Amino acid sequence: MSPREILVVDDNPADVALVRESLAETAHQSRVHSIADAGEAINYLRREGKYRNNVRPDLVILDLNLVQRDGHTVLLALKGRANLRQIPVVVFSSSAAASDVARCYGLGANCYVRKPADLKRFFAAVRAVEEFWFGYVCLPDKEEG
Amino acid sequence: MAMIELCKPGQQLRLLLIEENGDEQDPTVWEMDYDGKSLPGDPRRAPAKLHDWLNERNICPCAPRRNAESQLAKKVEELARSNRELEQFAHVASHDLREPLRMVATYTQLLAERYRGKLDLHADQYIDYAVDGALRMQTLIEDLLSLSCLGRTGERRRTVECDLVLEEVLRDLSLAMKESGAVVHYKSLPSVVGVRSQLAQVFRNLIGNALKFRSDPPPVIQVTGERAGNECLFQVSDNGIGIAPEHHQRIFAVFQRLHTRAEYPGNGIGLALCKKIVEQYGGRIWVESRPGAGSSFKFTFPAAELEPADA
Repeated sequence: MSPREILVVDDNPADVALVRESLAETAHQSRVHSIADAGEAINYLRREGKYRNNVRPDLVILDLNLVQRDGHTVLLALKGRANLRQIPVVVFSSSAAASDVARCYGLGANCYVRKPADLKRFFAAVRAVEEFWFGYVCLPDKEEG
Repeated sequence: MAMIELCKPGQQLRLLLIEENGDEQDPTVWEMDYDGKSLPGDPRRAPAKLHDWLNERNICPCAPRRNAESQLAKKVEELARSNRELEQFAHVASHDLREPLRMVATYTQLLAERYRGKLDLHADQYIDYAVDGALRMQTLIEDLLSLSCLGRTGERRRTVECDLVLEEVLRDLSLAMKESGAVVHYKSLPSVVGVRSQLAQVFRNLIGNALKFRSDPPPVIQVTGERAGNECLFQVSDNGIGIAPEHHQRIFAVFQRLHTRAEYPGNGIGLALCKKIVEQYGGRIWVESRPGAGSSFKFTFPAAELEPADA
């Protein structure tokens, strides 16, 4: 089976690097692609413009505090589209605000994980997310469209 | 003499006065400043003289009280607003500080993980200091946040059964109690009005301190509470190291510590939190203690309404 594809939408390169580090040596050998900008991320997921030929990701890891447009916009764009809705979205944010959590689930996020402040826990959280979605969960076949 | 606003020796005496027969609803207020010398003696010592002095000039000393009250109300409102702004500031600042600090903490940890033993001995130590500093600052910020969030839980005040709260707290602390061989004695506690989680926090911090600041023998902790009129008086006593009288006030201020972190860990926020919670309910908290003779922390809390005797 070809490796799974994860799209990380996060404008903090340090966090993207940590996610990559977390997944570098796991059994799933997922491919990690990262985009910093909300608008670009939406184009990528819709496979528009220069992203026409890219593979649709199996999982989106989405930060909330993005420049210009925030992560909620990406969530709305994803979950508001019939052919994108099935892609699981893990919101990965340092915000502990109950309002952020509620809003994300309201917009259809599949789960909300707070970025741990401790390195070991950060690695563990990202690996647990990967293991859950790629090791245990049954995902739908990728629709071509 | 209600119209005297400021009356300290050496300072100016400011009088808010109203002309006699003036309009009560819309008084003409005179503000006059006196250097004290031009007044007929010290008005505090000889109020009758001042009264006569005012009478001679047909000035009524009573009516301006209303004006002073509205000024006071204005000051109270100003103070409340500035307090709210300060709390907001602490909240926002600690939130925004968390992100960059998380970067420092995780990346110094990553450095430690990847490069420990590969540089020289100094490098290992420097990295450890950096990791330690970042982690400590994280707990400080968390503590600061919890302090600034205290007033905004949104939870309604209701009757809280302190017995149940204490049992819950003792369950939380059971590991620390087991490790230190501590014994906690308590009898039935009265019910109070408050937010349950805040009351639990007060008990947890006080009992936690009793476990932490122990002397050589295993901690023996006594928790009592009794109703006295409209409030309840609680007491958490221990046989720990005790506190010198000169520190009895200071320990309740935020980030005040009496020991190095190597001796006793902590940020110096526990008692400040207790004080803020207790005072939010109009209560008081204080300590009775001497070095080597244990400590007895006491606080008051509004009592729950008594159930009617015949139901």
